[in-house]
Amino acid sequence: MAPSPICAERPAALPILAVPIGERDVVRAAFAWNLVVEVARLGGSATLLAPEDDEPSPLWPEAGPGPVGSEVILARAEGLADLNRCALDVAVSRAADSADGGVVVVRVPPTWLGPGRDGRALLRWVLLFASPERRDLLEAYGLAKQLLLGGNGGVVGITIHGARRVAEARSAFERLADVSIRHLGRELLSYGLLVDDLHVYRAIVSRRPIGIEHPQSRAARALRDLARLVLEDARSFALG
Amino acid sequence: MADLALTAPPPREDLLRQLRPRLAQVAPGLRIIAEGLLGADASIDFVGVEPDGRVVLVLVGGADQDLELVARALAQRAWVERRLRDWLQLAPELGLRPEAGVRLLLLSPDFRPEAESAARALGPDAPTLAVYRCVRNGAGVDALLEPLRAPAPHAAATRARPAGLQPFRTGLTDADLGLTPEEHLEFE
Repeated sequence: MAPSPICAERPAALPILAVPIGERDVVRAAFAWNLVVEVARLGGSATLLAPEDDEPSPLWPEAGPGPVGSEVILARAEGLADLNRCALDVAVSRAADSADGGVVVVRVPPTWLGPGRDGRALLRWVLLFASPERRDLLEAYGLAKQLLLGGNGGVVGITIHGARRVAEARSAFERLADVSIRHLGRELLSYGLLVDDLHVYRAIVSRRPIGIEHPQSRAARALRDLARLVLEDARSFALG
Repeated sequence: MADLALTAPPPREDLLRQLRPRLAQVAPGLRIIAEGLLGADASIDFVGVEPDGRVVLVLVGGADQDLELVARALAQRAWVERRLRDWLQLAPELGLRPEAGVRLLLLSPDFRPEAESAARALGPDAPTLAVYRCVRNGAGVDALLEPLRAPAPHAAATRARPAGLQPFRTGLTDADLGLTPEEHLEFE
């Protein structure tokens, strides 16, 4: 069978990656924003959508165009259903302009993840950040449980951050994945690891992406690997 | 009595020596256990322990380094938090309580509004900010500390709670996540 022309495979909407992040969780917020910038650096369309806070943290990136074509949009959303509608609007409009695919990353307040809420379609593809600390792994597992048993049949990916060694990150992910299989009967997807070095925290305060300020740092290289994984999956989800 | 007059800070080594005995003014009962500890790519000026076992990191910045100081403090706290249990094993006599967390105490000649906002945005984990001023006292120079704002009021309440009931980083609690005792045990 002859391959289809690429233009015929352009999706009607970009895939949406939901990332649960608490409103004061500046480290993970910085990860999400830097991930979006890295996706843009790899040539994908990249938008970060977040609900507008009444008291926005000065550490969150401002709305508007960002580095290398990335974008931050703050939406008035009272709950998951509102946020889902905004995310779909963005995903459809950006798909029309993106020849190389891309992703819409959506910050979801963790309190909106509970069962029985409208708008759970937003949670079909979710990325959780977890450190190897016991409480962090427990929290990531609890969130994965809510997501996987919530009835939306989604994919939950895990990125481990804050590990001192690759082996520690691998062990943390394997522990989570193992517990998920035994208690929930569901698999978790590995999205690698991130490195918490000084550049991450400098990026938070200066609001400058790590991949541009310190492209050779361990933090930037790890983010680039994560962005590559996300973009590859986004392209396969979009076409699949 | 000698005249007191504001003056430029002395060389860093002298400044740290003058600030050291003043730290208890902003962190009562603080016991210094290390100085110049090499942390996340840079040194931590002082590491101390409060009477309840909470570790305190003290970072001293220079003029116009206030924002950088907040960033460095976050990095150092993350670096230290991951090592607290190791330290406890290596030196149990220090009385560290890793579950009490790590408090940040940042000293700078000035904090601009954006640095204060950045610090405040960290919520219950916000660092304590204090301004230092150097005064010429006769032939010598002394350093004075002035706290900029009190530590987050509910930080102590958070510390007092048993570890299992502390909210997660997302702000959710164990009850919100509906975790069973068996699931808890998996992560012990």
